Amino acid sequence: MLAASKYAPVVLLFVIALAIPVLMIGIATIVGPRRLGVKKKVPFECGTEPIGDTRKRFSVRFFLVALLFIVFDVEAVFIFPWAVLFRQLGLFGFIEMAVFLFILILGLVYVWKKGALEWE
Amino acid sequence: MITLDHYLYLSAILFFIGVFGVLFRRNLIVILMSIELMLNAVNLSFIAFSRYTASMDGHVFAFFVMAVAAAEAGIGLAILVMLFRNRRTVQADDLTLMRD
Amino acid sequence: MANVESLRYFLPELLLTALVLAVFLVDLGLKRKKVPIATLMVVGLLVSLYAVLKTPGAEGVTLFLGMVSLDPFSVFFKVIFIVTAVLVTLFSMESDEVEEKNFGEYMGFIAATTLGAVLLASSNHMLMAFLTLELVSVPCYVLAGYISRSRRSSEASLKYVIFGAASSGLMVYGISLLFGVTGSLSFEGIRDALSAGNPGEIIVLISLIFILAGLGYKIAVFPFHMWCPDVYEGAPTPITAFLSVGPKAAGFAVLVRMLHVAFSSSDGAAAYLTDISSVDWPFLVAIISAATMTIGNLLAINQSNIKRLLAYSSIAHAGYLLMGVVALSQLGTQALLFYFVVYLLMNLGAFLVVLNFRSQTRSEQIGDYTGLAWRSPIGAFVAVSMAIFLFSLTGIPPFGGFIGKVYLFASIIQGERFIWLAIVAIANSVISLYYYARIIKVMFLRGIDAEDLGGFVSSPTTITLLTILAVGTAVSGIFWGPIARWVSHSASLFFG
Repeated sequence: MLAASKYAPVVLLFVIALAIPVLMIGIATIVGPRRLGVKKKVPFECGTEPIGDTRKRFSVRFFLVALLFIVFDVEAVFIFPWAVLFRQLGLFGFIEMAVFLFILILGLVYVWKKGALEWE
Repeated sequence: MITLDHYLYLSAILFFIGVFGVLFRRNLIVILMSIELMLNAVNLSFIAFSRYTASMDGHVFAFFVMAVAAAEAGIGLAILVMLFRNRRTVQADDLTLMRD
Repeated sequence: MANVESLRYFLPELLLTALVLAVFLVDLGLKRKKVPIATLMVVGLLVSLYAVLKTPGAEGVTLFLGMVSLDPFSVFFKVIFIVTAVLVTLFSMESDEVEEKNFGEYMGFIAATTLGAVLLASSNHMLMAFLTLELVSVPCYVLAGYISRSRRSSEASLKYVIFGAASSGLMVYGISLLFGVTGSLSFEGIRDALSAGNPGEIIVLISLIFILAGLGYKIAVFPFHMWCPDVYEGAPTPITAFLSVGPKAAGFAVLVRMLHVAFSSSDGAAAYLTDISSVDWPFLVAIISAATMTIGNLLAINQSNIKRLLAYSSIAHAGYLLMGVVALSQLGTQALLFYFVVYLLMNLGAFLVVLNFRSQTRSEQIGDYTGLAWRSPIGAFVAVSMAIFLFSLTGIPPFGGFIGKVYLFASIIQGERFIWLAIVAIANSVISLYYYARIIKVMFLRGIDAEDLGGFVSSPTTITLLTILAVGTAVSGIFWGPIARWVSHSASLFFG
C-alpha cells in the first residue's frame, strides 16, 4: 500500500537524506588512514614554508561591524521586491515602506548614539 | 530533466547535514553555521514547492526566513563574543558550569 | 479584512510597537534611567491593556487578509502577557541583578517579547506564527545573557540561542513540508486541504513532528526541555520569572490554535473537536504530556538550587497544561486558560520570593532558606506567602492550583480516551508534593533559633506585590466563579 502511494518517493527521500551524512562521516572514519606526522601538517604543495601562525586573531571590532552589516544588509530583501512592483503597490505600499525604513533608521540612530560605529 | 523531487532531495540532504552538524560538531561557530545551513535548506524546499504549486506564498516565506536567519546569526555571534570574553572558549564541551 | 480597515482593530499592537521604539530611544538620552524607563513601561503597557479591552470586533474577525485573527481567545492571552510584563517590570526594579547601565535595552526587549507574544497568540497563518515565534525568542536570548559579566548568564544565553535556533529550523522545515502537501500556509487552508482528501499521511506526520519540535522547545516539553534548567538558573531572576510565564503561555496559545484550527474540525455544537489529519496527533501529544510531567517531577526531586527546582517544576506544569490540549474539547481549552490565570499568580509569586531572598542573602540554595519564617516578622510573611505559592503549585486545596488541576483532570476524564493520562498526572502531583514540601519544611521546621542569621527585610513594593499575588492565589481557589466565567467566554467563542 505504501509502495503504491505516490508519496513513496518522498519517504525514500528521507531515508537517503539520513543515509548520506551517516555514510559521509562513517566512511571517512572507517576508511581514512590515520597517520599523523610533521610532514602531514605542512600546507600542501604550496612552495614556501609558512611563516608565523595563520590563525591570526581578528579584533572583535570586525565582528561588530559584520553583525551590523548583516542586519542592515538583509533588509534589502524586502526593499527589492517593493521597488520592482513600485507602481502597482501605489501610495499604500509607499507609506508601508516608509514606516519600515523609518524604523530601520531609528535602529541606525540607536547604533550610532551607542557608539558602535566608532572604531576607537 | 530536473523535477520537484530533485530539489526536495537536495533540500533534505542539506537539512540533515545541518542537523548532524548541530548534533556532532563541538565548535560553537560551526554549530551556528550548521543552523544557517538548515535554514537555507528550508528556503530551497519552500521555493521548489512554491514554483511547483505556482503560488507566491513560498517565495514570501523564504524572504522572511532569510531575514530571521540573519537576526539569529547576529544574536548568536554577539552572544558568542560575550561568552568568549567571559570564558575564553568557543567549544561546546566547555559549557559545563551548570549541571544536575 | 483588508489591510487599511484592519488598522483600527490593531491599535494595541501598534501601541506596543511604539512602546518598544520609545523605550530604546529614551535610553539614549538619560543618565539615571531606571525609574523613568520603568514608569514609561508600566504606563505604556497599561495603555495598551486598555486598548486591548476596548478594541471592537472582539467576537471574532480576521485581520490583514487572514494573517491575524482577533477573537476572545487572543484577547485572553493578550491580557495575560501584558499583566506578566507589568509585573516583571516591577520585579526588575526590586532585583539587584539588573544594572542601570543597559536598562533601556533590557526593558525594550521585554516590551518586544510582549509584542511578539501578543501577535503569536493571534496569528492565524504559518508565516505569522513563525515570525512572531522568532520575535518572542530572539529578545529572550539576549535577556537570558543580560548580566554580561556573569559566566553563568552568558553560558545560559548561548545554550538558549543554539537550542532555540536549531529547533526553529526544524519547525520551519516542517512548515515547508506541510506547505508542499497542502499547498497552503493559512490555518484554515491547511484544514480544508487535510479534510478534503488524504495528502500523504507520512509527510503530514513528519511535518507535524517537526512543528511540535519547534513549539515544544518554546514551552519546554520533553524531549526539548534540556535548555530549560540551565537557562532558568543562569538568567537574571526577573527574566527567569518572565520566561516561565510569558513565552510559555505564548507557545501554548499558538499550539492550541494551530492544532485545533489546522488539524481538527469541530462538530455542530462545537463542544468537541475531531482530529482530521489521520496521523493521530492527540495520542502523540498525550505521550509527550505524560513524559514531560514525569521527567520534570522526577528530576526536580534532587535539586539544591531553587531556580533550577522551579525550572523543573515549570517543565512538569507544561506537561499538566498539555492535558488541556489533548482533551480536544471546549472544556479542555477552558481548563488550560484557567490554569494559566492561576499559574501566572503562583509562579510569579514564587519567583518574587526567590528574587527577594537573593537580594537579601545573595543565595539561591534551598539549604539557605533554613528558618526563614523565624528570622524576622517580614521573613515570616515571606515564608507564609512562599508556602501558599508552593501548595498551590502542588495542587492542594483551597488554593487556585487545585481548582486548575481539577478542571484539567475533568476535561481529560470527560474526553474518555486518555483516562490513563489523568492517573499519571495524579501520581505526579503526589511526587511533586515531596519536593515542594521540602522547601516549606526547611523554612518553617528548621532553624527555629535562627536569630544569629540576621533579620530579613523586604521593600514595601515587594511586600505589596507578594500580598497581591498570595491573596490572588488563595482567592482564586475559593471564589473561582469570575475566572471560570471569563475563561468559558474566552474559549467558547474561539470555536465559533
